[in-house]
Amino acid sequence: MHRIFHLSVFLIGLFSAATVYAADASQSAPMTPDSQWPLVEQPIEFPHNRHAKDMQIDCMYCHTYARRSAVAGIPPLQKCIGCHQSIESVRESPRIKTLFEYWEGSEDGKIAAKTPMPWKKVHDLPDFVRFNHERHIKRFIEQQNRPTQEVCGYCHGDVAELTVARRSKALSMGWCASCHEKEHPVTAAGGTPIGDQAYWYGFYKSEADAAGGDLKAHGPNDCWQCHK
Amino acid sequence: MSVTNLLDDWAKFRHPHPVDDKPHDPYKWAMAIDLDACSGCNACSVACYAENNIPVVGKDKFLHGQSMHWMRIERYWDEDGRDFPDQGVQFLPMMCQQCEAAPCETVCPVAATNHTSDGLNSQIYNRCIGSRYCSANCPFKVRYFNWYDYPTTDDVWPAEMTQQLNPDVSVRGKGVMEKCTFCVQRLHEAKVVAKGEGRIVREGEVQTACQQVCPTNAISFGNLMDPDAKVHQQWQAQQVELDKDKQAKDENEGGSELRGYRILEELRPYPSVMYLERVRESAI
Amino acid sequence: MMDSGFDRRDFLKVLGWGGAAVALSGCGNTSVEDGKETVVSYSEPADYVIPSIGVYYNSTCAQCDAGCSINGRVREGRVLKLEGNPNSTVNRGKMCGLGQAGVQHHYNPDRVREPLLRTGNQGQTISWEDAYKLIAEKTQGVSGDQIAFLSGGVSGHLKVLLGNYLDSLSCKNHFVYEAIAPGVARAANKKSYGVAMPRFSINKAKVVLSFGADFLGSWVSPVHFSQQYAQFRKGVDGQRGVLVQVEPKMTLTGANADRWVAIRPGTEGVLALGIINALGTATGDIAAAVKAYDRDRVSEETGVPAGQIDKIAAMLKLHSPSLVLAGSAAEGYEHGSQNAAAINLLNHVLGNVGKTVEMTEDMPFPQMSPETGNTAALTSLNNGLAASKYKVLFNFAANPVFTASGAMNFKENMAKADFKVAFAHYLDETALQADLVLPLDSPLEDWGTQVPEYLATCAQINIQQPLMEKLHANTRGMGDILLSMLKQRQPDDYNGYEDYYGYLRSAVLSVKDALGGASVDDETFWNRTLSGGIIKFEGSVNKLSANASAAGLKLPSHSEAGGDYPLRLIPGVTASMRDGRHANQPWLQESPDPLTTIVWDSWVEIHPKKAAELSIAEGDIVEVTSKTGSIKAQAYLFPGIHPEAISVPLGRGHEAMGRYAKGYGVNPFQILDAVFDKETGELAMHETRVKISKTGQRVIVVKDEGAAGGQQMGKKIAVRVSSDDVDLSEEV
Repeated sequence: MHRIFHLSVFLIGLFSAATVYAADASQSAPMTPDSQWPLVEQPIEFPHNRHAKDMQIDCMYCHTYARRSAVAGIPPLQKCIGCHQSIESVRESPRIKTLFEYWEGSEDGKIAAKTPMPWKKVHDLPDFVRFNHERHIKRFIEQQNRPTQEVCGYCHGDVAELTVARRSKALSMGWCASCHEKEHPVTAAGGTPIGDQAYWYGFYKSEADAAGGDLKAHGPNDCWQCHK
Repeated sequence: MSVTNLLDDWAKFRHPHPVDDKPHDPYKWAMAIDLDACSGCNACSVACYAENNIPVVGKDKFLHGQSMHWMRIERYWDEDGRDFPDQGVQFLPMMCQQCEAAPCETVCPVAATNHTSDGLNSQIYNRCIGSRYCSANCPFKVRYFNWYDYPTTDDVWPAEMTQQLNPDVSVRGKGVMEKCTFCVQRLHEAKVVAKGEGRIVREGEVQTACQQVCPTNAISFGNLMDPDAKVHQQWQAQQVELDKDKQAKDENEGGSELRGYRILEELRPYPSVMYLERVRESAI
Repeated sequence: MMDSGFDRRDFLKVLGWGGAAVALSGCGNTSVEDGKETVVSYSEPADYVIPSIGVYYNSTCAQCDAGCSINGRVREGRVLKLEGNPNSTVNRGKMCGLGQAGVQHHYNPDRVREPLLRTGNQGQTISWEDAYKLIAEKTQGVSGDQIAFLSGGVSGHLKVLLGNYLDSLSCKNHFVYEAIAPGVARAANKKSYGVAMPRFSINKAKVVLSFGADFLGSWVSPVHFSQQYAQFRKGVDGQRGVLVQVEPKMTLTGANADRWVAIRPGTEGVLALGIINALGTATGDIAAAVKAYDRDRVSEETGVPAGQIDKIAAMLKLHSPSLVLAGSAAEGYEHGSQNAAAINLLNHVLGNVGKTVEMTEDMPFPQMSPETGNTAALTSLNNGLAASKYKVLFNFAANPVFTASGAMNFKENMAKADFKVAFAHYLDETALQADLVLPLDSPLEDWGTQVPEYLATCAQINIQQPLMEKLHANTRGMGDILLSMLKQRQPDDYNGYEDYYGYLRSAVLSVKDALGGASVDDETFWNRTLSGGIIKFEGSVNKLSANASAAGLKLPSHSEAGGDYPLRLIPGVTASMRDGRHANQPWLQESPDPLTTIVWDSWVEIHPKKAAELSIAEGDIVEVTSKTGSIKAQAYLFPGIHPEAISVPLGRGHEAMGRYAKGYGVNPFQILDAVFDKETGELAMHETRVKISKTGQRVIVVKDEGAAGGQQMGKKIAVRVSSDDVDLSEEV
């Protein structure tokens, strides 16, 4: 009796979820890793492919705050000008001219000198989510020595193939959680085990693996780690 | 989001705390408030407003009991019928006690309030549907509901005042429950720094907003599991144990000569806040 | 359908399942909305600026004149929250609620943003150039003694610059006015101790006897004293300090006393002499002076039980050193100076002078020392205005139209000046009467130096630096305004300074060696000064004058209240509202008064016994009438007040000053009688006698007490224990 009741409520819930999902289909996009979300227009069609693929510039040269802050940061205008003031070959190209308009001021006076560029935010997580770039950089790049472009690509996709940034991963909670659910050995640099984290959503998932001396855990194990 | 852990044991999720098989490690955030030092100045309350984007509701809504002060100072009179309160008044800073067996956690229909592994009672705004069962169940009445959409209400955050908002804390919309978080955003920041150095947060590295501002240092906050922490030493000196509903020291005839106690302990929520009794000199 | 085994627990499980099912489908739906928000990056940031990580800048809190140093947390170019600066010996990293609300002063939507010139009843926006021209014009054909400058307390370089500006006008009429000021105590201290504000060391005392000094709330330097109070409670030599508060109306400090003594208003001096008598240790002229003040006479006059007087004397005798403080309750009478003198005498007799009452250090730069405000200054100004003596009136950091007693007719007298300029943050009551309003930078966006009146541990100059760029393009700092006007009048002397920042910087650097910076270059020294936030001086400490004399001590005999005005009005000074300058900061309006828990409104505190006599219930709107005027407010039954007195808090009752101040509460300043302390001319704030009557209206009092009204209903909630029953030896 109970089971039928449970099952019917479950099915009703599933059905209503599906309807909601279908209704939102136009807004939400397909879920495969290769598909892309809508293209967002930017003040300058910044060519990531030119910089990241052709010239192999490290992501963190421009997005410099990623390894020390919660946000990766959009590079300040100064960063672009720093190189481009000496690159004569592209100085007169349209995009660079627009760039210098923001730095030196436009001729018609509409843009003042040193005006920061108004980029449109891509990968804009909702305000109730707390995401920390620094921790992820520390884990993948510093601790596990993976290459920067690969690591950034986990969430941002293959940016080296794009001009402006374009979302290619869902960045939904389920998507983030799918990575965080993977078991992984946990020891901090310096050899101090970080506790015996044992539950995810309150369910037991793993016990401390005493045998190998390795502790295994998942990522954030309580809602407040990522929600604020 | 896997199906397996859903089917696993939903009931276990509502496991009351504390439990022996899940000890707090490495953090258990707790507080100790010295009522003899507390002067009732309300600085902690205002600092909490500043830190946590708490809306000012105005006179009418205050009258309807819709005030939002996560940290409030309660004022109690003596009840012995004398003409004057000649031993002063009792001030009590009251905020979410982060109960180990929180009565609010078990009744949320959507699990928007849970227990974190470092001993806090979490409140997830985007999951909350506004049933308000949690605040009905809270014996301390420290949960506050957003009856209105304060971000769009006139004069709550008029232009320019929005610039004061703390980006590390969500601004809550209508229909969502909120309460003291022990400044979880500060705890998070401190942990990020500590994790980067491969260690846990040390005593003194993180302060809640109320603790930081209190002019008489009445509030101490820290990791109860850390023997260097003042709060650990205070709980120990006062012989108050987190997971007991009746302390051993109170078994004695005439009670204890130690000042530490927890409020409404007999209801067995196992609060994480210990208060030290206010002392009044008898010779005067 | 449901069998009997289905219970509440199962119901919730089912709900959880249903909820989980919906959550399952959440994998594709996201709340990520690309392209909706703009992210404006920096153009040329300093390299210590990292987005999402706050930078902390030191500055000085300007919400009161205690001079607490603050650390402003600045993120992405805007100040979010203020913390105390741990390096300050005034506040040691702590703050009060008033200080926290400093950001609301800065971001307040009702700040004046443009210079305004009065045309009829409107204010027209004019340019700064035109404003300066107008001022130059109006001060042109006028002699210096026809110009008056009213300001609040000033110190530091602003004081110097202001002095220079007034000199350039040949104007000697600088009135320094504070509506709430320890003016009487300052004069009494000078006589008793040789200095207007000695150092009080609460943390060194074993007993503190305070006659109405609300040192935890709003008296002198509350954050500093609160810290000392915490140490005091922990105890000297492990002995917990004892606080006795004597006052007719309970203040925040009184609420924290071990013994709160309700005293008949005005008789504080009598009690002080009675205690000296009871101590039995006085000699010479002091002993002679107190001879007549035996405990029975004193008990009768003050209303304090004789046994209580004995206990206080016994405690003071037993535990030394102690500390006796004279607060506003003692000062606010025609004989306020006498009260204060008697109370100070008690410190001498107890041997506290040199132990808990100590001399402060010499300020090496006395021109920076504060010009302190008092109420006598306003009386002088008012008399001058009434006689049409002043053609031009400047107003800065004062709101006399709001805070002056109605008996002074200040608003009418002010109108007699031909040209009135207000330097203001808001269109408050006084600015609304001005002809020209010049908008000021907030303290969080301006440069400055400040010297507190109360030097907590050493002589010091506090630095104030902007915590962010100006919010509004057309406001100016007061220093910059004065500098601009001085450049007009004395271009040779001042054109060398680009702005007030330049003036400050060069002024500080010019004494770099004296400030200990001989070994470093200018830039380094200046940056070091800014990042420290405080310039401290190890000055020489002088000995206090041990002038213990009862000469001239003459206390009036207690006059029976009666007749048409049977009750005493005590204007309450709350930590948040003070003289009303912060009433437009909503956090403070919503912060419940610690004693009554009332918010957003005024109230009339009446003792329950008196209320019963007059059949007044809580919420009754009562009319409080003095000879000067009347106000109406809700009654609140309050046991912490002498039955012969009622109290209405100061600071509310604004008719202007923005949306959070206007229309909330009533203003008791208006009905204060024009009675003054005989010796100093200070307004005797507690001498107003009133009558009270019900209007027939009734409201629900908006307060935070909760349904139980401040009772614990037999539960162990806020527990108090007697010192006999507690063992403090194991404390951490």
